[in-house]
Amino acid sequence: MTESAAILSKSDTEAARRPGLLRRLRYLEPSNLLWVLLIGALLFLVAIPIGKLLVVSFEKQGSGAFTLANYATAYGRARYLEALGNSLMLGALSALLSVVFAVPLAWAVSRTDMPGKGLTWAMVMGAFIMPPYLGAVGWILLAGPNSGFVNQAWTWLTGLQAPLVNVYSFFGLALVISLHSFPLIFIFVKSALDLISSEMEDAANILGAGTWTTTRKVTLPLVWPAVLGGIIVVFLETVALFGTPAIIGIPARINVVTTQLWQFFEYPVRVEVAAAYAMPLLLITIGMIAVQKLLLARKGFVSQTGKGGERRPIRLGRWRWAVWGYCGFVGLLAVLMPLAVLLQASFAKAWGRGLAWDNLTLGNYGYLLFRHEMALPSIWNTLWFSAASATAAVVIAVLVAYIVARRLVPFGSVLAFLAMAPFVIPGIVMAIGFYAAYAAPPIALYGTALIIILAFTARFLPIAFANSAAAVRAVHPEMEEAARILGGGRLLTVRRITAPLIIRSLIGGWLIVFIVASRELSAAVFLVGPRTRTMSVLLYDLSEAGNFEVLAAFGGLLLLITLVLVAIGMKLAGRDFMLRRS
Amino acid sequence: MLDFNRRLFLGLAAGGAAAARFGAARAAELRPHEKELYEAAKKEGQLTWYTGQYQAEPSEAIGRGFTTRFPGVEVNVVRSTSQVAFQRLSQDMRAGVAQCDVFSSTDHSHLAFLKQNERLMPYKPQNAAGLIKAAQQAADPDGYFQVTYLGLFLMGRRSDQVSEADAPKSWKELLDPKWRGKVAVGHPGYSGAITSWCLAMRKLYGWDYFKALEKNQPQIGRSSADPVTMLNAGERQIGAAIPSATTLLSISRGNPITMIYPTDGTLMVPAPSGALKNGPHPNAAKLFMEYMTSPAYYEATRPFFSESLRPEVPPPPGSRPLDEVTMITADPDELERDGQEVKELWRDTFGV
Amino acid sequence: MPRLTLKGLSKAYGTLRVVDNVDLSLQEGEFVCLLGPSGCGKTTTLRMIAGFIEPTSGSITMDGEVLSAPGAVLPPERRRMSMIFQSYAIWPNMTVAENVGFGLKLQKLPSAEVRARTRQILEVVQMGHLADRYPAELSGGQQQRVALARAIVVKPSVLLLDEPLSNLDANLREEMRFEIRRLHDEFRITTVYVTHDQSEAMATADRIAVMNAGRIEQVDAPHLIYTQPRTRFVAAFIGRTNLLEGRLADGEIGLDGFSLRAAQLGQKVPDAARPILLSVRPQAMSLSRSQPQTREGRPVLAAIVAQRTYLGESWDYVVRPQEGGLQLRVTAPPLQVHEVGEKVWLELDPQQIAVVS
Repeated sequence: MTESAAILSKSDTEAARRPGLLRRLRYLEPSNLLWVLLIGALLFLVAIPIGKLLVVSFEKQGSGAFTLANYATAYGRARYLEALGNSLMLGALSALLSVVFAVPLAWAVSRTDMPGKGLTWAMVMGAFIMPPYLGAVGWILLAGPNSGFVNQAWTWLTGLQAPLVNVYSFFGLALVISLHSFPLIFIFVKSALDLISSEMEDAANILGAGTWTTTRKVTLPLVWPAVLGGIIVVFLETVALFGTPAIIGIPARINVVTTQLWQFFEYPVRVEVAAAYAMPLLLITIGMIAVQKLLLARKGFVSQTGKGGERRPIRLGRWRWAVWGYCGFVGLLAVLMPLAVLLQASFAKAWGRGLAWDNLTLGNYGYLLFRHEMALPSIWNTLWFSAASATAAVVIAVLVAYIVARRLVPFGSVLAFLAMAPFVIPGIVMAIGFYAAYAAPPIALYGTALIIILAFTARFLPIAFANSAAAVRAVHPEMEEAARILGGGRLLTVRRITAPLIIRSLIGGWLIVFIVASRELSAAVFLVGPRTRTMSVLLYDLSEAGNFEVLAAFGGLLLLITLVLVAIGMKLAGRDFMLRRS
Repeated sequence: MLDFNRRLFLGLAAGGAAAARFGAARAAELRPHEKELYEAAKKEGQLTWYTGQYQAEPSEAIGRGFTTRFPGVEVNVVRSTSQVAFQRLSQDMRAGVAQCDVFSSTDHSHLAFLKQNERLMPYKPQNAAGLIKAAQQAADPDGYFQVTYLGLFLMGRRSDQVSEADAPKSWKELLDPKWRGKVAVGHPGYSGAITSWCLAMRKLYGWDYFKALEKNQPQIGRSSADPVTMLNAGERQIGAAIPSATTLLSISRGNPITMIYPTDGTLMVPAPSGALKNGPHPNAAKLFMEYMTSPAYYEATRPFFSESLRPEVPPPPGSRPLDEVTMITADPDELERDGQEVKELWRDTFGV
Repeated sequence: MPRLTLKGLSKAYGTLRVVDNVDLSLQEGEFVCLLGPSGCGKTTTLRMIAGFIEPTSGSITMDGEVLSAPGAVLPPERRRMSMIFQSYAIWPNMTVAENVGFGLKLQKLPSAEVRARTRQILEVVQMGHLADRYPAELSGGQQQRVALARAIVVKPSVLLLDEPLSNLDANLREEMRFEIRRLHDEFRITTVYVTHDQSEAMATADRIAVMNAGRIEQVDAPHLIYTQPRTRFVAAFIGRTNLLEGRLADGEIGLDGFSLRAAQLGQKVPDAARPILLSVRPQAMSLSRSQPQTREGRPVLAAIVAQRTYLGESWDYVVRPQEGGLQLRVTAPPLQVHEVGEKVWLELDPQQIAVVS
């Protein structure tokens, strides 16, 4: 403290006015080096893979010469274009169905005196944490046109042979997807509804509008931006989804962009064509985000009407059970029914034989846990890949959030942009970018755990960043300055003051990244090597191995692990940690 | 019938253990060339096997069986469909990574391609001389790869819904409109066996066969085993081009399925295996090739209903002896030449 | 040698000069207030002294060593200063004692000494009994005391305070103001205190530097700032005043309706014919019902009471002299009551009149 070695003598003031590089270095905070590293990390994780993807799409395979042939190949067949159209329609239909599921639920939970809100909330949470491809398997068991339990029950009840729902159809596919995407819209809309004061509704009531009219004319229009935001997110998620379309889409004869991309990765691997084919996905995403920005730029709506005024639940009277019934119905579709059939299959010797004592076995679990060569390694892989990516993402995110919040570098907003950019990049595109950039020598990461960890880190960086930025913003800069002026360096201050203050929110963010990474399929399926298969990829592989009992049991294990994590998260970071909108 | 099934099921459950016992019993009987390789392989300690020939469980039983027979040499079993396995291997090669030591596929063209690109080790296992004739004939004449598995692809029916009298007798009969919405089949883009089947059917009946089949709206899965699942579920009543081994396994679990040997020929797919030239564990790879052509191997795979390629080991229970079955097969050259083409044709015809 | 010297210190954001060529030096043990309206650059100046902001030009020197110059800023942690923040910045995850001992621990002092000095300083700020509390359990005033203790305990070369009392209610603010001065008298730490509240500045500072638009307008002892403001801004910002425009010629200052001799003023005025601006404090004038005896050099004017406001401690009258168009604010004791419209006599004390520029 006392050796003020770097203090200039007074006679040096002339020199101090124009300090040389060396002198500048003496004044450099050691932490500045870290910022340089961070920029490097972000370029590596985000800018280079996407840049490489763009470059590769114009390269001839082998020689690397400039060509437009990849685009000609990628869009040269009607079937490929049709897949693009299918994806767009699927995205739109799934988003629409999600709205139908989510908005009434959000309204009921946020604004009414409906009974069983906790249960509804748990259902939404359940639908959110259930991996979509697992739901897809469940729905195959439920709604196979001939054998699905739902359709068998329908035939038994009505005597009609025609199935009630056919999962192997465009609608079936969209339904299954939306049953796992609607929680996104629910979160958006509920948090918007939570900000509306009852006075807004009272004002309409006093003018003679009934509850229904008020809800339709006042309440819902106020949350329209949230609904729109949710629609866009679900649309983008759907367009980038791989697992569900692969499992349901092929029997349904529906080819979409992601399954088509997978075909380009078949022998012979045509990553150049895949890159060219991935471009519209990127453009659509950027376009959608731009549209959303444009629409929300008009602001207004909820943000200005928030605060002030009490919030009273709307009395539904005898309608409350009807609303409750709808919430229960959605919960049944999204969680209870698929979960029940999956559990049944996982404990069955032959699931086609249904529920019977002599059909029950623990053998499927036993087989996976004790006799299957890949099951345990894949669980281990999943756990440590997810933990490593969550750690890396949170560390990078919190450092970037910190730099940006404290304006430590002049171009901090660029860092923030890079950290948020993967949000608009579909996971499957990200994976192809990583493959193109880092699979081959000289970096040669193909088949390593590192490439998966890096891809997961990049993919989920925005989640970690949004979380960290909120946490850092909540710490007054003077908290840190107080430590610095007392003699603590920047890094010591971060360690001793800032870190303890934000650690709880960071744990929440870490767990969210961990959970979403542990079920990520789209990015993983292109990057796994023989020894780096994750649970999600193994599950996908099992889905074509002709043994649904084992598949269901493995899904059961995946869910069990997720549930344990969610429970830990609730304990450490609060009940709402996953369904908070940040 | 019930007893029989239960016995099979128990046999299956004990499969791994049985393989281990066989291995232990034969450990003393290692032939001199095996011993020599074993010593060298022990130093390498492991090998990685990409396979699409067997389902996961038998693949892993094979891996365990090998390690029991040759303690100290572990097998990293990487099992998937043949297409995916080959896709991974292609990605490896493109990335310049050598991870795989032995590659087994149901698709002959995969190994032919590897041979052509000088990726394979010219190693002819000495044990191969004891294989049945069909297997020896289908192997690579230069010894770059062997036939280690004979896939039989036939039809299956839900015995509780389709009587033997009603059931289709031949591939041709699948085109009958009465099977509309009742047939399930795999996908040549995901399964090498289905590619072979496509070629065989095209040769017999022309591509119009598939155009007519499309009119019957078959349910399309990915692997050739997917239709078995659909039969188990009762989703479909006829499975086309399903593997005999998976079907027998399903039957043994109590599912009401019966196999149909088509009169116009059961598809026989000789499935090749080869050791990679630049693999990280060359001696272990050679030893594994010896193992795959030895009786111990077919004893280890018999509980999983796979056909035996050694005369010493009898065919799996419930299966017809090979000499009583009418066989058709796809010409390897044709497979190599037209494989991609039929996949595209398939996608154009069926839309996926 | 001064303890702290700011020389030509400036800070610009783009073309906006937030701090403009500030010169200031503090002797050891001196307490200087930077006083000015919000946005005048006082906090920026303070944060440059602390090392949180790099100057655009100029330098900051402590004990003859340059701490800050453009491109060469010694980080805050190496300046041996301490600071008290507007938000107190008490770390909520540490107890009172941990907060106070933090700086000492950073100095790697033996833990016995850390404990002893922490205990001692907490007694000084009357917080000894709350040493193990967490900040969330303290009132605003108590938090402020913790902040004071934390800043003083490290015996800083310079203590910086950034509007430390602005979040307290009025009573507490007055109490803390004296507390801060008391601690200064006890420890004699060189102190820079930023505030926009002139009474705070008056009560605490040895000298006040009045800032406006990035510049220091005047640096002087509190009473001189009040009685002898040098600029129109200082005169108007500190207390209330009447600004009168006049013209100086031949030693005579001509005003609207009356005139003064320049020699009578409390300060020397260079004798050259020019327009001149005078600041006349409301206390520099007195009102009476009857015409007071004319004293040497004290102008007396007849005037009418135009408005009046009772402020509790005094009356605030606005009177209009009969000659000319002036309106003047005059302070009178509570018992001196005049009605609006009443005719009064107004007497000026030239000694208390300041010439401002």
